[in-house]
Amino acid sequence: MVSRRLSVLIAASVLTMVLITSVGLSFAEKPTVLKPCVQCHQPEKDLVRGTLVSVTEKFKTINVQVGQKLVWIITYGDDLKITGADKLSAISKDKEIGIRFTGDEKKPYAVSLTVKPPAKVAPEKLVSLEEMVKLVAEGPEKGNFLLVDSRPKPRYLEGHIPGAVSQPNDKFEELMATVLPAEKDKLVIFYCGGVT
Amino acid sequence: MSPDSARRAEAAGYTKVKIFHDGLPAWKKAGNLMVSEPAALQDFIEKDIAHVLIDLRDADAARKGFIPGAVSLPAKDLSTAKDRFPADKSAPIVLYGDGIDSDAFKTVRGWGYKDTSVLSGGVNAWTRHGGKLETGTPGTVISYVPKPRPGEISIEEFKAIAEKGSPGIVILDVRDADEAMSGMLAGAINIPAGDITKRLKDLPKDKEIITYCNTGLRAESAYEDLKGAGYKVMFLNALIQIDKDGKYEITKK
Repeated sequence: MVSRRLSVLIAASVLTMVLITSVGLSFAEKPTVLKPCVQCHQPEKDLVRGTLVSVTEKFKTINVQVGQKLVWIITYGDDLKITGADKLSAISKDKEIGIRFTGDEKKPYAVSLTVKPPAKVAPEKLVSLEEMVKLVAEGPEKGNFLLVDSRPKPRYLEGHIPGAVSQPNDKFEELMATVLPAEKDKLVIFYCGGVT
Repeated sequence: MSPDSARRAEAAGYTKVKIFHDGLPAWKKAGNLMVSEPAALQDFIEKDIAHVLIDLRDADAARKGFIPGAVSLPAKDLSTAKDRFPADKSAPIVLYGDGIDSDAFKTVRGWGYKDTSVLSGGVNAWTRHGGKLETGTPGTVISYVPKPRPGEISIEEFKAIAEKGSPGIVILDVRDADEAMSGMLAGAINIPAGDITKRLKDLPKDKEIITYCNTGLRAESAYEDLKGAGYKVMFLNALIQIDKDGKYEITKK
């Protein structure tokens, strides 16, 4: 029993060493940006963008998920500049963050950390209350638009804008085919409950 | 929620996507028409949630079949019936007739009842939905006794738990992560309401869970999800403001 366990241990440590070595070899191509972030951000050499896994205060490291099996471990010190949060411990797990670092990929040291700010809406995409009132008076058919209520279904049922259809944000994908129009150039207006 | 939906619609190829960002609060505040669905009315009736239901049709039509609990108040008599309405302006009031009566809505909403709606599709939609009708003489007196919604925790009880904490209770902040980041109750954990069903494994089944958001809306939605998943759960149905240090103020709605 003992010897078998020992051999497993040895095998495991050999495997670990192989893994470390292979990671070491691939450093030159280590991705810095989590896939979804690429939609808005270009990869940069000294900037890691991903989601926060954890902060280890004891070792002063920030762990950032940048791929399915890839976590950057970045050390930090008291000189870390944080934007978008008061302190590291105030940033919740899985939050999108960006960390600018110095040093090479093997020993990155965090210079600044930015927390992704809440989404801002471009002004040209906004519909005002007055416009909304006019459109609703015309109705979705005559006005050639679709009005979508993004709130949870029970809230929609309790009360909604006349002519609106329900497509809760958390069920967006599964309801897309049945709710959204086939014509991709039709005006689609989303609304929700503002501050809830 | 709506900006996120809009982004996803654009990602799916929709080219004319807009957002009514002021949303429902602005729409309601300006006194615009609100419609409610038969399913919500059925919920009110079945769960015994306090509400006022008004049948706007003529008394004869109402006698032949009215929605349970309705008070008969023909639309033509509505404008002189203000005194018969409850003192509590936050009472949910559902008006119904044969179709959508926006004049009746304006009248009642104009008296300050901010939670007024007209039943979408009228009586026909109700019966199509499977709702029952009663025959005979509907009530004529409007009575409204506010009752806590199912699962609602009293503000006092919530405060006591928030102050002292309890080993058997988990306080769950169901706002989005960036809202929670700007101030959360001490000892609370954050799972956004929309993610609850995906993250049930992060929640202990042997403890009672109490949810809160800013207004009680998302807290109730999380309550429903958790209850459905077999959790012992309650929610705070009140306005709560929390500052960076976790200091908070709760206001009754």
